[in-house]
Amino acid sequence: MMEFVVDAWRAWAPGMEDETAWATWCAAPHAIVDNGEQPACEFVPPMQRRRLSRLARIVMHAAWPLCGDDEQLPFVFASRHGETTRTFAMLDEIGRNAPLSPTQFGLSVHNAIAGQWSILRGQRGESVAIAGEADTFEHAIVEAAALLGDGLPAAIVVIAEERPAPAYDGHIDDIPFSYALALRLSVAGSGPRWRLSLAANDGAAPVAGVPHALRFVRALHDGAPLDHPWKTRRWHWQPSA
Amino acid sequence: MTDLERDIARLIIDTLALEHLTVDDIAADQPLFGQGLGLDSVDALELALALQNRYGLRIASDSREARRHFETVRSLALYVESSSCAG
Repeated sequence: MMEFVVDAWRAWAPGMEDETAWATWCAAPHAIVDNGEQPACEFVPPMQRRRLSRLARIVMHAAWPLCGDDEQLPFVFASRHGETTRTFAMLDEIGRNAPLSPTQFGLSVHNAIAGQWSILRGQRGESVAIAGEADTFEHAIVEAAALLGDGLPAAIVVIAEERPAPAYDGHIDDIPFSYALALRLSVAGSGPRWRLSLAANDGAAPVAGVPHALRFVRALHDGAPLDHPWKTRRWHWQPSA
Repeated sequence: MTDLERDIARLIIDTLALEHLTVDDIAADQPLFGQGLGLDSVDALELALALQNRYGLRIASDSREARRHFETVRSLALYVESSSCAG
């Protein structure tokens, strides 16, 4: 079992720009339409911003205010599908026997966004980039809990997914719209305290429709426990007094 | 700027996603790398690829010549012109 404090959180999805929008959505979750919107990220200078993919912009927008300019915090980037847009563009180039774009190639690796975070925020500490199955979010929390267990006072965790190109329809079915959730976790902060535990799954099926990380946003609003069964694993989120 | 120089400036803006700039923001004799426009080594590779696709140029990646051709929009235009005359 892991226990930690959610010091602060920020989420992004198309049209969901502030806390009020999320509070309304959490009261009655509905499908969000993704028309390719992306955060402006005007806090990043233009020469650096041009290298940010849509997924990277979503991550920066969500995570940026959670880290002070004078802080060094470990960073956990989690995404099940990662930079599918960049990968798909490169597959297209390969299919046409065209040379690969060096920019696309360099920034398509799974830890590229963690690297960009490090450069843009002057962060010199630990960073982790992970991809898992439908419970990638929980695995990201395990990473953060391990960093906190090592004695670090706080950690930033971001899970982000970008709706992939239509060619992936039928292959990627768990990103109804692009989204990100960024959390600032600590051992002894002042926010709500949560426990995450893992048990064997007895055959329960996962809830389809809403991305799991956004179900946790809803739990942050109503303070209710949350179950996440996936294959042999059953994760349990429990608010703790 | 000549038409070719404007074409090259446009190509640089589009290829390198310099959305905050227009063709008129890039002077023909402005250094492209380092203190000038601020492009870096990844941009150099990307730009070489784009010039190859657009004008059929072949550019050796680490030659001293290439470094000279890539100094400014004007030097790139001269290189494109001399290459197409030679071809």
